[in-house]
Amino acid sequence: MYKPVLTDLVEKNLLEPEDAERIGTYEKTKPFSLHWELKTMLYVGVLLLNVGLGILIYENIDTVGHAVLIVLVGLASAGCFWYAWRHRAPFSRGEVESPTPYYDYILLLGCFTFLIMEGYWQYQYNVFGDRYGLATFIPMVLFFVLAYLFDNRGVLSLAISALASWVGITVAPEEMLSQNDFKSQTIIITGILLGVVLAAIPTLSERLDFKKHFSVTWLNFSIHILMVSCLAGLFVLDEKAVYFPLLALSVAFYLWYARMRHSFYFMVVAVIYGYIGFTYLLLSSVSGLEFEFYMLYFLISCGIMIAFLINYKKHRNA
Amino acid sequence: MIAYDRKSLDAQQTVEYAELWRKKGLFSEEKWQQIREQHPSGFYSPNVFVRIGLAVFCVVMLLAIVGLTGLILSPDSSESVALLGMLFGSACLFMLEVQLIRNKRHFGSGLDDVLLYAGTTAIISGLFLLFDIPDGLAAYIVVLPFLVAGSIRYLDRLMAAGAFVCTLLIVLHIAKDVPQVAVYVLPLTGMVFSLLLYRFARRGGVRVEWRYWHGVLAVVELLALLTFYASGNYWVVQQAGHYFFGMDAPPAGGLFWAFTFIVPAYCIFRGIRARDRLMLDVGIACMAAAVFTFRYYFNVLPLAWAAATGGAVLFLISWLSIRYLRKRPHSYAYEPEEKDTLLQRVQEEIFDKAIVGQAAPATTGKTSMEGGQFGGGGSGGDF
Repeated sequence: MYKPVLTDLVEKNLLEPEDAERIGTYEKTKPFSLHWELKTMLYVGVLLLNVGLGILIYENIDTVGHAVLIVLVGLASAGCFWYAWRHRAPFSRGEVESPTPYYDYILLLGCFTFLIMEGYWQYQYNVFGDRYGLATFIPMVLFFVLAYLFDNRGVLSLAISALASWVGITVAPEEMLSQNDFKSQTIIITGILLGVVLAAIPTLSERLDFKKHFSVTWLNFSIHILMVSCLAGLFVLDEKAVYFPLLALSVAFYLWYARMRHSFYFMVVAVIYGYIGFTYLLLSSVSGLEFEFYMLYFLISCGIMIAFLINYKKHRNA
Repeated sequence: MIAYDRKSLDAQQTVEYAELWRKKGLFSEEKWQQIREQHPSGFYSPNVFVRIGLAVFCVVMLLAIVGLTGLILSPDSSESVALLGMLFGSACLFMLEVQLIRNKRHFGSGLDDVLLYAGTTAIISGLFLLFDIPDGLAAYIVVLPFLVAGSIRYLDRLMAAGAFVCTLLIVLHIAKDVPQVAVYVLPLTGMVFSLLLYRFARRGGVRVEWRYWHGVLAVVELLALLTFYASGNYWVVQQAGHYFFGMDAPPAGGLFWAFTFIVPAYCIFRGIRARDRLMLDVGIACMAAAVFTFRYYFNVLPLAWAAATGGAVLFLISWLSIRYLRKRPHSYAYEPEEKDTLLQRVQEEIFDKAIVGQAAPATTGKTSMEGGQFGGGGSGGDF
């Protein structure tokens, strides 16, 4: 179907005949890519193999023994990390290209098997006892080091998840002891602080020009943790005077960031969270109104939001 | 016939092609600027996230309008509700035509998608309510023209898929009531129907004057291949025979077993030979279905062993192929293509970008007019 386009461009003198010839040759001789088919088969193959072996080991646990199994999983994990170390690209403050096509997946597999091994230790031998914080702290540190060393955003996501779990576990026992009704408040405030920290780190690293391409991963966690915590503060704690301004500030920050970095994703997410918060604030403040009012509110407010999204930046292919 | 401006659609396609060629360095940057300047589509086709945002707010707004209208007019009979629904649907389509497409030049903006679906649904629901149309054949016959018209006028793939399914249901509905031989007729009808539509889609897919519908026809082609396989797959035939006619095993079972395995193998072979990605992908999917069909009836290996050996075989095949293709790139290659499908981009966005951390390429537009491709909105998160 490219031919009419090509002819048209040549007729309009927008392409030289030799350009058209080069394009024609390229279109005729370009290789047929089997990238997605083979990659998908590779994923499915590895997944099936893992599931099959997992079930086999589970069924034969009595004969295999736990110690052997832990050693096996540990060896697999160590093997993956060894591969990552052997084939690593030289460290750079910027983005590093994957050295081999399987590199990212092998590194990720190493991380997952590490988590399985750790979980197994805890389940079978209760290594960490009740110190769950330590159990999340160790992988967190390891994953952060690996993510920055080998430049991998997937491992960074795992590390940030571990960080969130560690923070959550660390604050939760305190509220259990205090017996007061601070349960939600502690978690919500922790969530907000965590969200702020997760936004501060990429801001700093962008200033220092250190792994700037990690920003999206950090901020993606930050925006959801921050906004959900603010909304939870509004809904559950009913402290509108505190949490609505916080939400407004967060939305403002992300709208600013979206504008600075030309990111539609952060803009739309911030707008939707902001709309939910504002709607809740408004509708919970005025009660006993007729059903028509609510309908009218949604009609007008959605109209405004649509106008905002359209006019935010006209994306015409002009 | 098409609601959107044809010149703009052509301009958009030209720029899409030119961009691919420019990325390959096949002509100068200066030419690229000239091509872009002389081919402004003027469409409002926002990024995929904005499209989602607009669609969400549009749905809430429409619900509010329905609620408000219902409250103000408070219709008290099913006829008045039906008329109101049809009026609302017509208003949606009018807005879509005049305000969005003609005046504001929206194309795949989220708003045009929602108005099209909401309008059509409201009109169809109104008709159902007004004439008390029963479920089944009559219902399919009423719905079909709307779906066909929608997919032709608005180049909408979802409606095209709906129209395909609706037609298939009508045909099967008639075939299953053929006295005596229905059990033989049903699979055959499915196959013939699929083949006819496959031919139609393939032929249309190479017609230059039908270029605007190439995306829609690609959907028909995909569904036709899938339903062709499903019509002869042993599991489907056996289950249908049991459901409709109370048979435990279909007659000429061997034939269906052969079909279950030969068709996917042929699709894979043909897909690779003819460089037909759609056929290759369908072949792979059908081969997986064939394996599951076999396991459903014959429990030859325990699940764990089956998974482990199957996984190992798959892994080995793909690993060796990747190694081979990377070392000897010729007419087949492992390197990804510039232009990719919506499904692939979803995988990129969700899995690769978020979890593994590999960058994804981005494209734009409601429909890519290349047959066999599934362009969605621009998937990149940036503007």
